[in-house]
Amino acid sequence: MDFDDTPDEAAYRARVRDLLAEHAADLVHLDAGEEAGDAAEQEQALRRTQRVLADAGLVGVAWAAEHGGQAGSLAQQAIVGQELARARVPALINHIGLGMCGPTVVAHGTPAQHERYLARLLRADDVWCQLFSEPASGSDLAALRTTAVRDGEDWVVNGQKVWTTLAHVADFGILLTRTDPGKPKHAGLTMFVVDMHAPGVTVRPLRQMGGQSDFNEVFFDDVRILDSERLGEPGEGWRVALTTLLNERVAVGGGGNDLGLSVESLARLAAAKLPGLTPERRVLARQAVGRAAVAALGNRYTGYRRLTAISQGGLPGPEASAGKLAGTAASRLVSDAGVRLLGDDAVFAVGTGDDGTGEDGAGRWQRNQAWLPGIAIAGGTDEVLRNIIGERVLGLPPEPREDKHRPFDAGSRA
Amino acid sequence: MNFDLDQDQLDAAAGARRFFTDQASPAAARAALEEGPVQPGRQALADIGFLGITVAESTGGGGGALLDLAVVAEQAGAVLAGPSLVTAARAAVLLAEEPELAAALADGSRAFCVVDGSSPALDAVGADTFLALVDGDLVVGGGTVVTGQPMDATRGLGVVTLTDPRVLVPDAAALWARARDVALVVLAAEDLGTAGRAVEVGVAYAKERHAFGRAIGSYQAVKHSLVDAWVGVEQLRSLVWWSAWAADRAPDELPLAAAAAKAFAAETLERAAETCIQVHGGTGFTWEHDAHLYWRRAKVDRLLLGDAAEHHDVVAGLVLAGALS
Repeated sequence: MDFDDTPDEAAYRARVRDLLAEHAADLVHLDAGEEAGDAAEQEQALRRTQRVLADAGLVGVAWAAEHGGQAGSLAQQAIVGQELARARVPALINHIGLGMCGPTVVAHGTPAQHERYLARLLRADDVWCQLFSEPASGSDLAALRTTAVRDGEDWVVNGQKVWTTLAHVADFGILLTRTDPGKPKHAGLTMFVVDMHAPGVTVRPLRQMGGQSDFNEVFFDDVRILDSERLGEPGEGWRVALTTLLNERVAVGGGGNDLGLSVESLARLAAAKLPGLTPERRVLARQAVGRAAVAALGNRYTGYRRLTAISQGGLPGPEASAGKLAGTAASRLVSDAGVRLLGDDAVFAVGTGDDGTGEDGAGRWQRNQAWLPGIAIAGGTDEVLRNIIGERVLGLPPEPREDKHRPFDAGSRA
Repeated sequence: MNFDLDQDQLDAAAGARRFFTDQASPAAARAALEEGPVQPGRQALADIGFLGITVAESTGGGGGALLDLAVVAEQAGAVLAGPSLVTAARAAVLLAEEPELAAALADGSRAFCVVDGSSPALDAVGADTFLALVDGDLVVGGGTVVTGQPMDATRGLGVVTLTDPRVLVPDAAALWARARDVALVVLAAEDLGTAGRAVEVGVAYAKERHAFGRAIGSYQAVKHSLVDAWVGVEQLRSLVWWSAWAADRAPDELPLAAAAAKAFAAETLERAAETCIQVHGGTGFTWEHDAHLYWRRAKVDRLLLGDAAEHHDVVAGLVLAGALS
């Protein structure tokens, strides 16, 4: 057991730092106090940032060279992530493409699709989104109703997706559709790559409860998709989607990364605010800070264990779901502690709103609070993740799923 | 970075599991409540080398790392074994410069107990040599032990009055603090084992027991409780390994890591033990079932060496002092 870099890792880290310093002028950097920039506003700058990083060999580090990656290790990938955070470079704009869509295209795409999409994805020439959830199928994803019907060389798509992060800036998406309603719900699905600029695609941003618009409704009206844009065989869409979901749970919290505001941010806020609290409130706030730090550290080191297992050749299994559950819980504690420190400022931020002024950024903690309910839902609700762990890790008997073997058009949708 | 046990540690865990499963059990913990002996007992632990894992080789110990001891302590916790390896680990730090006493710790010829002020001391029952911090000095001596009604008899709790203490190490506050941090790590490791076993017992029952025509583990109310307890155990494992590693390799991180591990252990074990009882329903709070034995351990351990609130405050203080920057 050793948390220190190996000599190779240390050399790699030094090289990454040098590269980031060399290109510093061409990268977006977060202002002090601002940790979650609005992707839409900064779209062009963020695309340019990812292109600079990709050209420097710092995007797709663990991807195979034949797909435009660096054929590096997951440890190297993690080092790049740490160094980007240290340099206060925000999350890459194509994080959904890199974390979920790309790996799905790699696993199930044809050589022509690899050629067409992957290099451009890495450079953010194309931004990607993941078109899975629908108004009537969130956790019960396989109950989706958007249809794709074969018409000569094309498929014709009709339906609606929702809660689609980045759809408003995306160039391509991976789209899960129902192609055979006569089959049981998991068996009648097919996955496609869809051009988000194609006729018949309408994107309508949704405003979240925190005020920002990161996700969207997407409508498909007679959208034509070439059969050559299919990912995997017709009817194999569920298997393809599982690749995406598995990668999603690793990308979202499975590596022990902080969801929401980091425990380091909390530490800075605590140092600034604790001395000014009354003794009574200080005791409670210190308890909240301590509890949040413990939870965040537990989650961070559990992520390191998972990273170690994966880098030794293990596959990301259902255990990754535990990382997201624990990460969500830790984020709630961090947010709660921050709010206790801010007191009145957390509910009535003056002059520290969207402009993010002020080192403490009361407005930032307000927005963070309003984002947390979303973390507990996106990428698998806490309840679904508990079922996955209970059934696939602990071996407990499954929930009854009465519609599992019934044809979709014969009552699954009831 | 490599955050996993190595093969030697995995082998040690497997060996310790065999030893403790042979020598101790919840049944033995139940018998101890009715004045049976604590199992496997001090001499058996000394004979297999567990009391001396972190004692220097030159004085008859194993010369091992705290992580080696933590791996063994987890297995001890799983079967509610006693006396606690917490005492051995803590005494080994305090006696690092005292070859004769360290040798006596490792071979079991002396029975140590470490005393914190007027608090009930762990492994006081049957102890003959007591270590304490008095006016900033580490002292050693004999003592009288008053026992009461133990919540968990395997902990050997007693209130100690020192007799004939002599100063062993003057100005020993820093040494004492490090030994206490090491004790927190090993206590958290034992609790990891106990919590993990409580979850296993609950899961096994939830697969067997049927109600309303289904195994109860298929109901989310039961399933999700067990999952939450299991997720806690996995987080605790990470904190235990990190803190044990820090004791050996990054002493500056030890105070933060040890306090974090102890605070998380207290709450994780309590939840695991209470979940185990809840899943078992009426059976779970009968004397014959093992569940109350894990629960007893949880209720005692959460208060030993400072409760979660105390350690959350320690963590907050260290975070404020820049431990995370």
